[in-house]
Formats: sequence, C-alpha cells, structure tokens
Amino acid sequence: MDTLLQSLQTVGRAVLTVVAAVGRAGLLGLEAVRALRKWALWGPHLLPQMARIGVDSLPIALFIALFTGVVLALQASYTFTGAIPLYFVGTLVGKTMVLELGPVLTGLALSGRVGANIAAELGTMRVTEQIDALETLAYDPVAYLVVPRVIAGFLMFPVVVILADCLGIFAGWVTAQGLLNMSSQEFIKGLRLFFDPWDVQFSAIKAASFGLTVTGVGCFFGFHTRGGAEGVGRAATRAVVVASMIILALDAFWAAILL
Amino acid sequence: MSIRLIGLEKSFGTKHVLRGLDLEIQDGHTVSIVGGSGSGKSVALKHIVGLLQPDDGEVWVDEHNVSRLDAESLYTLRRHVGFVFQFAALFDSMTIADNVAMGLRRLSSMTEKAIADRVRECLAMVDLVGYGERFPSELSGGQRKRVGFARAIATSPKYMLYDEPTTGLDPVTTAVIDRLIVKMSDELGVTGVVITHDMTSAFRISDRVAMLYEGRIRFEGSPDEFKGATDPVVRGFREGLPELMEGTTS
Repeated sequence: MDTLLQSLQTVGRAVLTVVAAVGRAGLLGLEAVRALRKWALWGPHLLPQMARIGVDSLPIALFIALFTGVVLALQASYTFTGAIPLYFVGTLVGKTMVLELGPVLTGLALSGRVGANIAAELGTMRVTEQIDALETLAYDPVAYLVVPRVIAGFLMFPVVVILADCLGIFAGWVTAQGLLNMSSQEFIKGLRLFFDPWDVQFSAIKAASFGLTVTGVGCFFGFHTRGGAEGVGRAATRAVVVASMIILALDAFWAAILL
Repeated sequence: MSIRLIGLEKSFGTKHVLRGLDLEIQDGHTVSIVGGSGSGKSVALKHIVGLLQPDDGEVWVDEHNVSRLDAESLYTLRRHVGFVFQFAALFDSMTIADNVAMGLRRLSSMTEKAIADRVRECLAMVDLVGYGERFPSELSGGQRKRVGFARAIATSPKYMLYDEPTTGLDPVTTAVIDRLIVKMSDELGVTGVVITHDMTSAFRISDRVAMLYEGRIRFEGSPDEFKGATDPVVRGFREGLPELMEGTTS
C-alpha cells in the first residue's frame, strides 16, 4: 500500500512539474509576443543572432546533408536491386532529403548546437545575476535576449535546411554518377519525376517551426536555470532533449496536416 | 518621499525567509541592513526594485506600490534606482565601457559622445581610468565590484541599493567604496540601502542601521544606538558572540 502511495505521489509530482513548466513556457511565449513591439531593444541584436544561429550552423548542417545524400543514393540502389528502374534513385534522394531528412536531421543537429548554446548562455547569465542586472538597468530581458534569438531561429533555420536539402541532393547525384554508374540525365529524370514545388515549402515550414522550437526551448531552460554550474549543464541537456522530442512530434504533426 | 517595506512576507518552498518585515528609509538617508547569512537581507533588497514579488505585504518607492506596478511602470521606476550586485553581475561578453554605458543607452536623450564622457567620468570615480576597453574576465574581483558600482551610478539614480558592496575587498578599496557611498548621499542627496556584514563600513556610511533577524527587523537606530544596544541578539551579532543569540526568538 505504501509503495502504491509513493508511486502515485511520484507520478503526481512529475505531472505537476510538467504542468508548471508548460505554464511557465506559455507565459514566456506571451511575454515574447508582447516584447515584439520593443524593436529598439531587440532590433540591433537580430543580425548578429542570425549570423550565430544560421551562418555558423552551416558547416555542421551541410556536413550531415552531404553524407545523408551519399547514403540515400547507395541505399536506394541497394533496395531497388533491378526490380525498379535505377532513375528512381533520383526520386528517392530528392523526396527524402526535402520532405524528411533535410529538415529533421538538421533540426536535431541544431538542437544540440544552437539550443544547448542558448540554454547555457542564458543559464550562465541567470545564475550570475546578469539577467537581474539587465532588469535593474530598465532592460526587458525577454525583448533583449529572447526575441532576437527566436526570430533569428525562425528566419534562419529554413535557409540552412534548404541549403542542406540542395547539398544532399547534389551529393546523391555525384554518388549516383560515381558509384552507381548512373548518368546525370537518369538521376535528374528521377528527381523531376515526382518533384512538386510544394515540397520545398513544406521543408521550409517544418524548418521554421523547428527553429522556433530549438531557440524557444533553449531560451526557456536558460531563463529558468537554477543552481550554478550544475544547473547550467542541466539546462543545456534538457534543452536538447526536449527540443529533439518536440521536433519529432512536429515532424509527424506537419506530415499529418500538410501532406 | 521614501522607501517603505510594509509587512513583507516571502517564502521559497518551505523556507519562510521574510516574516512581516517593516522598514522605512527616509529620503537622502543611507540605511545599512545587517544580519546573519541567509537572514533574507538580499531578498528584501530585491523586493525594492521589483526583482522579487512579495507573498504578502507592500513595497513603496516614492508614491509607487512596486508590487502593483505594471511592467512598463516598473522599468520607468528602475531608471531612478541603481543596484550594485554582490558579485558585480557584469555582462561578460561586453567591455567595461559598454557595461557602464548600458543604463545610459536606455536614456534616449544622450548622444554617444555624452555617454562616452559619462562612462569615463564614472570609471574615474572608482579609480579605473583606462580600463574601458578591457573585459570583465581581465579584472580582479575588487575591480569588477568597482565597475558594478560605476555602472549603477552612471544614470545618476535617486536611489542606490548596494548588496554587500565591500565584501571580499581589501581595506583600501573598501574605504574608497565607502567614501563613494557617503559622497552619493552627502553631495548628491541619493537615498541608499546597503546590505553588509562589515560593521566598520556600516558605522562609517550609515545614517541608520537596521538588523534583520528571523525575517523581521529586530533593531533600527543610529549607528551609536546600535553600538549601545543591549538586546542580546544585537549584541551577539555586533560582538560576534553567537551564544548570546541562542535560544532568542523574535
């Protein structure tokens, strides 16, 4: 009986913690929307954040896309085994990169690079009272710290993902020619066969939602950091884990809603 | 006009830190709040500038009830309050000059040249001329505290809140900071609230000394009255004799 009660208490506490966290996240989101009108506070930081979140993330995103494109082409060829015309390699590489692997793999990788970075940075500012100092100097910390990061994520993730999509397809094309003895025409024929411009928009929409998620979650955990260096580490880890989970859920959501 | 804390209550989880704290600070006065570690001194200070919200009670600064102010009014009020943090809380990605200029940049009336001049003036006041282009990580703890002080006074605030401004500083730097606090009060009429453990400093800079004990003000009076107080809790704290305080409740 005692064990049952203890288990119920544990579950109850966990549920309360999650509900409280969702509530705090909602409040932070509301504050961020309200802070949008404080352009003078966040405007000057937008471009530097776009460079940090977007441009600086390109190497890792493109590295992942490059090898994903290679593997997709090889696996497609292996799977088709002569039963399906080889030009469908182009179809599979193109569709898979644009609809799924480009946005999702990039989103997951950037949840580590960008999300953890934001959580650690804001978390350190929180535990060293720098956020309190901002407040005492009459700066709205949400407008100053959160808004430029979230907008930068929203704007730059689609750019990074589209570039990753392109490089993945290019890598697939090179692989098809170099290792699968396919001609360029065959690959492009397959690529164009089921190509729909909407796919690119779908990829960008997913990427934008992942950008909001990664930066928003990073800001949330950074803002609510407690407990010194250990707390900062915990915030960074949680930011990555939670953002990754939301990305996967959003991936299914967008597929169900938009396809 | 003054700062008034009325029946302030604050808990963190099960820890009841402030239990009906009452304190009034007259305009132009400097009041030191003393008390043991963890007695809630910094918590009380953060309520004055709205960094913490009370569970119960009121905080008044001039005619403003701080806990009832909307966000914009609170930011407006904060432009008149300087806050010196215990560990300086400098923005570590900015130079010292940019740190000091942060508050000034919120004042739209100032040009960049006027800001640069004021920054130099404030750094000179804390004896840090020529440090403007350095970063906080290149400074010692004492220098960082002095930058925090310069940042807080840069906007010429009407109120100054000091959270242990001299803790960890050498005696000479402590004297420099003490003199600045006295100067702020005597020459500029700034109202000051100082959290400190350093009784020598407290006696040197304060018009009034208040002792916080078990979440309430146990004693309030002039430095001379504090020195002569016979309350065993005050004596125990003043003379470093914890046995005098044991078994005493508020």
